[in-house]
Amino acid sequence: MTDDTQDDATLDAAASLALIDAQRATVVQRAEPSPTYLFAVWGLAWVVGYTVMGWGSRTHDGPPGAVAGTAFAVLLVGAGVATGIHIARRSGGVRGPSARAGAMFGWSWFIAFAAVNLVMAGLTQAGANDTVVALGWNALSALVVGMLYLAGGAVWQELTMYLLGAWIVLVGGAATLAGVPGVYTVMAAAGGGGMLLAALVTFALARRRRAQA
Amino acid sequence: MSVGELDPVIHAPARLRVVATLATLGPGDEMTFPRLQKLLDMTGGNLSTHLRKLEDAEYVAVTKTHEGRKPVTYLALTPAGRRAFEIYTETLRQIVRGATP
Repeated sequence: MTDDTQDDATLDAAASLALIDAQRATVVQRAEPSPTYLFAVWGLAWVVGYTVMGWGSRTHDGPPGAVAGTAFAVLLVGAGVATGIHIARRSGGVRGPSARAGAMFGWSWFIAFAAVNLVMAGLTQAGANDTVVALGWNALSALVVGMLYLAGGAVWQELTMYLLGAWIVLVGGAATLAGVPGVYTVMAAAGGGGMLLAALVTFALARRRRAQA
Repeated sequence: MSVGELDPVIHAPARLRVVATLATLGPGDEMTFPRLQKLLDMTGGNLSTHLRKLEDAEYVAVTKTHEGRKPVTYLALTPAGRRAFEIYTETLRQIVRGATP
């Protein structure tokens, strides 16, 4: 008799724990931005965009022309819009410190890229040639992206994001040594490739977490 | 340790899901009613009923405000609610552990 009630109680407790886990998983799936999605979107934009830039600079025998540059810009803006929509959908309807932190992190990208624009305008004005300008744009942009990933990874304790940030900072720096057009090949393969690899890693980690739950 | 000792305010499937969802929020964060409703796939009336019980127990704080001209209701666990949920899940784990030698 006592054993029976014990069994019922156990089942009930286990079922309650399962209900909590299932609800948590639903929240993660619907209310947290997916790193896999974001890394994949940016990884694809970089692989395709930098490949186009490399092609553009080889046909010109110099920095990429307007067509390649425009295609690259369109890809980056597209990835930015996709990121904005994804994060707004996932994090909508929540206010408080973490929403504020997310918004401040988002604005950091715009502020930092505004600064990159100013620096490059200044260097151009000071007489930097096309190759220097092309390399400067690339190096500073990669530095901003990598540093923000490092910061985000550190604050949110996302190890994959942190490692990706370290990788992008170093790849962006090293790619500068490859000159034009080599810089674009390095950015497409190591930069974009690194992001796609990070997408695979976060996908595998999420699947393992789901299997363990 | 038995199921009888579990907090009756939380130990009901619908309210347990409400509390578990609000517990995923960071400290100081709040969620709108429609957002919570969507994450739970519950009807508005049903969710309101359960929220009232949780509010009566002082486990959930309800903040009614306006965004532009639209009224918005924000929900969050109170510190007491968060503590009650922690004690509840800890009790569940003890029951489950106790049953498997």
